[in-house]
Parts: sequence; structure tokens; C-alpha cells
Amino acid sequence: MSESSSMVRATGLSKGFGAGLTRVEVIQELDLEVATGEMVAVVGPSGVGKSTLLHLIGLLDRPELGRIVLDGVQTDDLEPDARAELRNCDIGFVFQHHHLLEELDALDNVALPVRIAGEKGRVARDRAAGLLDAVGLSDRASHFPDQLSGGEQQRVSVARALAMRPKLLLADEPTGNLDSANAERLFQLVTELHLKAGLTSIIVTHNEEMARRCDRIFRLARRADLSENVRKI
Amino acid sequence: MSLSAELHVASRYLVGTRRWTPVVTVTLISLFGLGLGVFALVVTLALLDGFQSGIRSQIVAHASHAEIWPAAGRRIEEPEKLASLLQGALGDVEIVQMVRGTCLVSSDTDAVPASVIGRSDTDRVTVDRILSRRLGVASGDRVEVISARQRLTPMGPLPVRIRTEIARISTPEPGAESGEVVLPIERAQRLLWGERVIEAIELREKADPWTLGQRARKVLDEAGVAVRVAGLEELHRPLLTALALEKIMIFVAVGLMLVVAALNLLCNVAMVAAEKRKDLAVMAGLGFSPSSLRRLFLVLGLSIGLVGSVAGAVLGSGLAFVLDRTGALELPQGVFMVTAVPFSIDPMTVGLVVAVALGLAALAAWLPARMVARREPSEGLRYE
Ligand SMILES: Nc1ncnc2c1ncn2[C@@H]1O[C@H](COP(=O)(O)OP(=O)(O)OP(=O)(O)O)[C@@H](O)[C@H]1O
Ligand SMILES: [Mg+2]
Repeated sequence: MSESSSMVRATGLSKGFGAGLTRVEVIQELDLEVATGEMVAVVGPSGVGKSTLLHLIGLLDRPELGRIVLDGVQTDDLEPDARAELRNCDIGFVFQHHHLLEELDALDNVALPVRIAGEKGRVARDRAAGLLDAVGLSDRASHFPDQLSGGEQQRVSVARALAMRPKLLLADEPTGNLDSANAERLFQLVTELHLKAGLTSIIVTHNEEMARRCDRIFRLARRADLSENVRKI
Repeated sequence: MSLSAELHVASRYLVGTRRWTPVVTVTLISLFGLGLGVFALVVTLALLDGFQSGIRSQIVAHASHAEIWPAAGRRIEEPEKLASLLQGALGDVEIVQMVRGTCLVSSDTDAVPASVIGRSDTDRVTVDRILSRRLGVASGDRVEVISARQRLTPMGPLPVRIRTEIARISTPEPGAESGEVVLPIERAQRLLWGERVIEAIELREKADPWTLGQRARKVLDEAGVAVRVAGLEELHRPLLTALALEKIMIFVAVGLMLVVAALNLLCNVAMVAAEKRKDLAVMAGLGFSPSSLRRLFLVLGLSIGLVGSVAGAVLGSGLAFVLDRTGALELPQGVFMVTAVPFSIDPMTVGLVVAVALGLAALAAWLPARMVARREPSEGLRYE
């Protein structure tokens, strides 16, 4: 894979939390490369560090070691404001829990990234209305998050992630809290938008069946488990 | 830079909310605290200004607005030329020529040393109450004023003296200790000098008493007249300095209320930051830069500050205005120059109070904002 065609290139990533006795090493020397246009599923047991990895790639957190290059941009040395701008313009994030802002209705939630980019309220709301339409929620625009079902909330969250027409979509268990019908619907929506918008997507999921429908599966395992497996063999 | 997102979110947090959230409660408390501080400061300073402007207008009403003395020696050379120069340049000023000295004033029963002042704007003899008490005289009585200057008579040298009727008893200046006699200038000149000498000139003006001294000094300097000029500020420097100092001290002391209100605002903003931690992390995730986050808090703090301090200022000024107009707070008769507590609203002072309140509010919002902006977004995202 040539450098120009890779959207994400993470090399030697390490990230742990805490210090001393309470220290946990979550990600150690991890390499991940995702080609432009690719849809990658990240799977692994709970607590293995899937969210942590996605946060690192989404510039929501900084690795302790290693480098992350997004679409050719070396991100580790960037100032916080520059990282924020990348998050705003180039990365769409669907959080593990939808994380919509309670005080804003669906439309304003979707419009928020556009406002953050400095657009006028009208422009932002127009754009948001189009996106809500795309996720099939144009009739719920003025509903607040607590007036929406879990599936609807997650769809609003997907619309918000796509509001700035990002290059990279990061979705952390977007179907996690949904029943299978709704999960299927949301996954189809994401796949559809991925293709339509020419996105590069990384999707964390526990659902093996959905993972198989992605271009590639990236499996995360605990270091301890790995070495155990090796020993058994 | 566009504030669109910051303003939008801040406005939703503060007013657009659908439920009674803790953010709304703490906001109202902060508003109340800040408003109360500004209110108290505005009312207190209006009260102070009321009394102080009473004192200042008393000064303007009773004292001279500028005084001129010779730069060297005791007499002013060519006083008439100086007077016409001033009148030509300054227009409608009242010019009073003066001589001063000390004489012995005696009644039938006693003799007391007293200051003698000759003024060109009077043709009557006035004795102040200190002297009239010491001598046991009242208006209409006769006294003798005896100078230290001597005159040769057939009986040898004798002090110059005049006998005169007292036309009026005046109230002495606050703090005056020795008695005072005011005479028509010709009679005083005869007593003290024996010739037409002018020792000082007093100026008074209706239009702009506080700058008269400066303007007179400029005119005389340009004409090259060697005299010293003192304006109102200089003539009453100790009193005016005391008044200014009093205002500053009260401002600082009552202003501490604003500091307390700002500390309360700080706690409340910090509470909002904790309460909205997840939201803030989400916003950071969506591309809010650290500086935008800081601005969001600044907008929150400043809008609380603005609403609170403007409300406090309006209510405070309104109360001061009403109390001043209606004279609702009556004072004991005869103790003060005024019958009710006076209030005077100085827009500059009110503006300064509001500016200080806003500054403190910005500072109070800034400190928690810095804390929030330093965190990585993921820190707030972990738990639902
Ligand atoms: N801020 C933190 N402080 C301490 N430990 C943390 C922190 N963030 C994550 N961890 C730990 O890191 C490990 C990985 O967490 P992460 O959320 O990435 O797991 P995950 O793979 O997303 O799990 P799940 O499938 O349940 O969402 C967990 O053991 C978690 O306790
Ligand atoms: Mg997770």
C-alpha cells in the first residue's frame, strides 16, 4: 500500500493509563494502516482498548509512544487548535454512547460541528436538515435527544459525524445499544453513507456478522492472551 | 474567528433550556450575587457622591474660585492693569482686590487680636462670630480697630486706628480659630499700609469655577505677569484629597462584595464545567478548540456578568434617583446643610462599577475554563 493511498497510518502506538501500581497498559506497539476508501471493522473483547484506539486515531487523545499520520498529515506534533480543526473538518466520530447534547434538538446537534467551523446558523441548520433527511429523521428535527429512541439517537449521531463531510468516519460500537433490527438498519445506513460519500471508515463492533461485511477485520487481543495462545501452540 | 458555536451553546445552556437544570440554578444564584454587589456599590457611591457634591457646591458657593498673589514681595504691581487683562481674556469674572493683616480689635470691655481683611467688594464692616463672642458685641455695636502701624502726631507717634459700626456678624470658616474683621478695602489699606496697596486678588466665576485658576494662570503667564495663581483645587486641596480618598476607600471596601460575588461565580462556573464535562468533551471531539472552549466559558461568565451588573446598576441608580427626588431618607434638622440624604448618580462611577464587575466575571469564568481546555477530549467521554 503506498503512502499516498493510506488514510490512516498508525505506527508503534502505545497507550496506558495511570501510574505505579494502578498502571494499565492498554495498547502496546500497535501498527494499523487503513487505505483510503476502506471500511475496517475493529473487534475484540470488552476492555481490550477498542475505544482507546479509536480515540487515538480520532485525535481525542494522544498516544504515549508512536505516530499517527492521517491522510499524509503527521498529527503528533500539531498544536491543540490544529488537532481540533482536523477533528472538526476531516474526522467524523460516532461515540460509543451517542453523546448528543441534551440542550440542543436533533437539528442543532447535527448543526453543531458546522457552527464550530464558523458557519452562520442558517447555513449550519440547512446542512443539518439535509443530513437528517439522509438518515431518515427529517420529521424529528426539533425533537430533543431524550425524546428520541436509542436507534434514532444513534442515527442523529451518525448525521452529526458526517456534518462536515469528513474524510474519515470513526464509529465506536454504533449499534451497541440497539436491538438487532435497529442495529441492522443503522449498519446499513453507515455502509450506504460510507460508499456514497467516499469515506474511509473504522467501525468498532462486537457483531461478528457485521464485521465480516466490512472490507477487513482488525482484531485486537490482550497481550497476555496472545502470549498464552502462543504457548499453547 | 466566529463566535457562532460558542454563543449558540452558551445561550442554550443559559436560557434555551427546557428543564430546570442545575446550570440554571447556579446561573441565577451567580446573577443574584453579582447584581447585588453592583447594586450595593452603585447605591453607596451615589450616596457618597450626593454628600460630596453637596460639599463641593458649598465650596463653590462660598469660597473664591481662584486667588492671585505676587510672586515676590507683598504687593501686586499694577493691579488695575492685571484686572483689565483678566477681564479682557476671561470675560465675565468677578474680581475682588484684597489686603490682609493683623490688628487689635477692641470693644468697650475688651481687646482681641484679629485678622483684618480689606475687600473691594464690600462697603460694610463684618465681624465673624468668634470675634463677636470674644468681644461681646453684636451688629450695630461699635468697635475700634487698632493697627501696629504708627503715625506721627503732635502727641508723638500713635497707632493708626479707626472706629466703626459692625454691620453684620458672619459665620466663620470651619476650623477657623482666630477672629476676623472684613472692611471695605480703602479703610483696611489706611490701617495696614497708609497707601493704596493690593496684596491679593480673588476671582469668582459662574460658568466653570473648577478651571478658573488654570485659565487665569495661562492668561497671566502669557502676559508675563509675575504672580502666583491658585485654583479651587489648590485652595482646597486637603479637603478635596480627603473626599477623593474617601471615595476610593469606600469603592474598595464595598467593592469587596463584588469580589465575593465573583468567587461565587467562579464556583458556579466550575460546577457547570463539572456537570457538563461530557458535553464539553463531545464538543471538543467535534472540533471545539481549547481556545473556543475558553471562549465558551468567557461568554457564559460575561453574559452572567453583563446581565447581573446591568440589572444591579439600573436598580441601584433607580433607587438612588427615587430616594434623592423624594427625599425619603430625612436627616435631623439643623445638623447637616441638607434636609434629606442626597444621592448623586455619576455615570462615570456607575460605568466603572459595571466595568469592574465584568472584569471580575471574566476572570471568574477564565480560571475554570483554563482547566477545561487543558484536558484531552477523551477524558470526559468515558462514562455515560
Ligand atoms: N482514563 C482511563 N483511566 C484508566 N483506565 C482506563 C481509562 N480509559 C480506559 N481505561 C482502561 O483501558 C482499557 C480499555 O478501555 P476501552 O474503553 O478502550 O475498552 P473497549 O475495548 O472499548 O471496551 P468496550 O468494548 O467495553 O467498550 C480498560 O481496561 C479501561 O478500564
Ligand atoms: Mg469501547
